[in-house]
Amino acid sequence: MSIYLKLVKALIASVEPSKQEKKYNRIFYMVMGFIAVFGIMLPMAFFVGVIIYSLTSELLKVGSGQNAVELFLQLVSVFSFVFGLNVIFNVFYFSGDVENLLPLPLKPYQIIGSKFTAALISESIMEFIIIIAVFAGYIIASGLPFYAWIIAVFGMFTLPVVPLAYCAVICMLIILMTSFIKNKDTVNKITGFLTFAVIIGIAYFVSQTGGFDTEHFVSALSDPSNALISTMNMIFPQIHFLVSSMVNNTVINLLYYIGINGASIAAFMLIAQAVYFRTAASVNGGTGAKKRSVKKDLDSLRFHRPTVSYLKKEFRILFRTPAYFMNCVLINLIWPVFLYLLYVLQGQTNFLDSFIYGIHSGNEEMVLLFVLGVSAVSVLVTAANSIASSAITREGKHFAFMKYIPLPYMTQLNIKALISIIVSGTGMIIYVVAASVYLNIGLKLMLLCCLVSLLSVMFASYFGIFMDSVNPKLVWDNELNALRGNYNIFFNMALAILLEGATCAGAYFAFRYTDIGSIMIIIVLLILLMLLTTISYLLCCYKATENIDKLAV
Amino acid sequence: MIKLENVTKTYNKSVRAVDDISFSVKGGEIVGFIGPNGSGKTTTMKMITGIIKADVGKITVNGFNVRRDPIKAKESIGYIADNPDMFLRLKGNEFLDLIGDIYHVPTKKRREKIEEFASRFELTDALSSSMMNYSHGMRQKIMIVAALMHNPPVWILDEPMVGLDPKSAFELKQMMREHAKAGNSVFFSTHVLEVAEKLCDKVIIIKKGKLLFDGTLEALEAKSKSESLEEIFLELTEK
Repeated sequence: MSIYLKLVKALIASVEPSKQEKKYNRIFYMVMGFIAVFGIMLPMAFFVGVIIYSLTSELLKVGSGQNAVELFLQLVSVFSFVFGLNVIFNVFYFSGDVENLLPLPLKPYQIIGSKFTAALISESIMEFIIIIAVFAGYIIASGLPFYAWIIAVFGMFTLPVVPLAYCAVICMLIILMTSFIKNKDTVNKITGFLTFAVIIGIAYFVSQTGGFDTEHFVSALSDPSNALISTMNMIFPQIHFLVSSMVNNTVINLLYYIGINGASIAAFMLIAQAVYFRTAASVNGGTGAKKRSVKKDLDSLRFHRPTVSYLKKEFRILFRTPAYFMNCVLINLIWPVFLYLLYVLQGQTNFLDSFIYGIHSGNEEMVLLFVLGVSAVSVLVTAANSIASSAITREGKHFAFMKYIPLPYMTQLNIKALISIIVSGTGMIIYVVAASVYLNIGLKLMLLCCLVSLLSVMFASYFGIFMDSVNPKLVWDNELNALRGNYNIFFNMALAILLEGATCAGAYFAFRYTDIGSIMIIIVLLILLMLLTTISYLLCCYKATENIDKLAV
Repeated sequence: MIKLENVTKTYNKSVRAVDDISFSVKGGEIVGFIGPNGSGKTTTMKMITGIIKADVGKITVNGFNVRRDPIKAKESIGYIADNPDMFLRLKGNEFLDLIGDIYHVPTKKRREKIEEFASRFELTDALSSSMMNYSHGMRQKIMIVAALMHNPPVWILDEPMVGLDPKSAFELKQMMREHAKAGNSVFFSTHVLEVAEKLCDKVIIIKKGKLLFDGTLEALEAKSKSESLEEIFLELTEK
């Protein structure tokens, strides 16, 4: 047990952000942490709690009080599974510590058990907050006694176990099945695409169930024949037992819950014991160097401008490194799937249909909402893909390269921002054009939306670079750890969302509560976005370059 | 070519990594930088290359102040870091092309230099492979080729022999001699005292950030009763 605990401690320490030594950085991080916790995490948790409270209050009247809480917990488990797949693949097989752990006299279950626990703790903090908020809404609405809170706290820490156990089993079986592929990167990319396929599969499944009629949400939830709920109950049966143990105060339900969790852990531990050493060795086997004639290699060398060459280097590393490709590039393809899910789940309320109709009929408010939506999504996507906010962090051990080459820091930062603008901007422009064609909004509005999107992406890109320059996480043992446990990415997202949210909210309220027309509001929005982009650019010019210059490595 | 005047670097306001050191490396010289682990060798080299900012003092490379004229100073340097695990997702030739572009090496000269170095270091078969598949020694060799491709007047090499096979180590030592003979400066750190003994025109010994010795091997031998460089080094650094 002591080895297991020491391993867990060491593994968690390897993904923790470095401690802030400079007073300025400590204050900056405290302020950012305060904004993130009180400005985003707690309001989000409160919002979820209120939804559960309202739904449970309604459902109690028809005798199905626990259905809402169960469905939400099942959805949280689905998210945990989807986002856990990539993490578990990397933690089990592709992290730098695997090569150090394999030669030690450790048993497979000790390695896998500690890696699983470390991943569970470091990946589930936001999930813990959401789970306890769901329970809080349910317990308050149902008026359950004190013991329900104890079960809720127990559930908060243990609910992510089953979805992550599913990830662990799937991960080991896939590596076992692909063990004939010797190239580690190919396997890593296959697993990433598999994650993507699973997300598409879930979206397809949800679309087939017909979703919910939001006007009759309560009756849909209390309907035992709902395909979505019954399927979820089969996949995550432990949730029903946990919630039942709170309602009925029965030990037997709690024992079932513990039993299912225990069985899921035992299942992946048994598989680990049987296949882990074999599969880990096959993944870490490496490949031999390819041989080609030197003349061909020399002919391929061409003089380019240093900036072009640096840009090519950045692109190659971003697209060839599986962890960056999955988390920074592929994510740009995933978010429209969630938008599609929203469209499918609207049921008969047809909010989106009325929105589309509003745009077609030239409703100024709907047109303005569409433009503001384009801007908000552009900022959110650029911040979430973290291409900019991890641009310096991704240099890692070879950050010194940025400093000793004869290329000004600002030139290098401009290229890094350009990568983010190209990747995020291209995706956004394609989606904006596709949405514009689908909504038939006309060429002028489409071009305007493209401009708004591009400016929003530029603002978020330069802002992300500046945020990363404050204290880049340069010590990491594998590329995924450059992105995991990286406060810069989270804080950048929080601040960018707040700035963009304030801009969009200001624009919308100005339209609603003043006589200013939508055209004028959009012009002001464009000026504001230009201003934000210019400020972010100047922050990079003066502050980020100074930060890089001061950074001792 | 390299000149340090009263240079100091302190970490976290308390640890003096480099403490008021001054020395110079002239054109045509090979200078060995020797000291125990943690003595400040890498910090000094990083200050010369512009990676770390000195708190106090002045550093000039090829006549350019590294703070006031950083780009010109950097263009004059060929630097090999102590860790060759750099941009492993790139192929060997892609990495060399990047460095060639950054240092403005014309295509023809680039091809000639890479062909020459790759042949001397037996790298020719590996250029089209991802550096991820290289051994530690091969990565070190490609770093050497990249650093020296633009024929800079100042070479700064941080433990360049680590990981090299005997033939490549021999080739590198030859290249260092040839480079110095052409009037350029070579400044390198090493823990292998025999290398310093055979290669250097002078040695600089550093301990806990302070300069202990700066002069020729003959002057060092004259200072001590001990016979070998190893004994003199231990005598100096363990005082």
